[in-house]
Amino acid sequence: MGHSNWPEWIYVAVVVALLCYVGAEAWNIENLVEHVPEDAEVIKVTGQQWFWSFEHEDGTKEIGELHLKKDHAYKFEITSKDVNHNFNIHEYVVLLDAVPGQINTVWFSPNEAGEFDIQCREYCGLIHYNMRALLIVEDV
Amino acid sequence: MSKVFHLSIIIATLTIIPMVSLAFAAETAGEYLDRKAEIWNLFFRMMTVAFVVGGVIAGTMVWQVWRFRESNPKAKPTPYEEKGEL
Repeated sequence: MGHSNWPEWIYVAVVVALLCYVGAEAWNIENLVEHVPEDAEVIKVTGQQWFWSFEHEDGTKEIGELHLKKDHAYKFEITSKDVNHNFNIHEYVVLLDAVPGQINTVWFSPNEAGEFDIQCREYCGLIHYNMRALLIVEDV
Repeated sequence: MSKVFHLSIIIATLTIIPMVSLAFAAETAGEYLDRKAEIWNLFFRMMTVAFVVGGVIAGTMVWQVWRFRESNPKAKPTPYEEKGEL
């Protein structure tokens, strides 16, 4: 029995259009978010059972605390010394795996002064729950 | 023909996507942005799309059940029912 199938084609077109929109939007934001500014300061982040250590560009090292300046860009180079960890600054939506033998990068720019939690988000052993650090953003 | 088609799809995937990524990466350095706002806004836009799609699909199903129920005055028997095969 012959029948009109134009509604089906409209349906298919709408689905394809939505998928294109979703893909393009996500692609665009991902590019924006991953695009590191030129003046970003590199900070080496090392995770190990069960604490975080940080090394600034000038060689300053910090353990369990990270002092940053407000409205500056920072690029984290994240790695691990033992097992997989995950570097998370919840307040600034920074979340990236710390993997032994590999350097993962993520950048952000704190736009609010204050103290924020840094925590491990990958179960890494007995004291994973307490593998935290403190991000201190200074209004300079 | 099918093999050629599949091969070309694979080659296109392996070359075009990295080329586009490289083209983006070759731009000048990025600008400062509020990462939190960008990511959450993207999330809310995607959620809006997801809920609209969900609503349309659920609505279509409800309409179908309502429209094609046996007790609908507009309901017509299918050709099989007319012939008494079911």
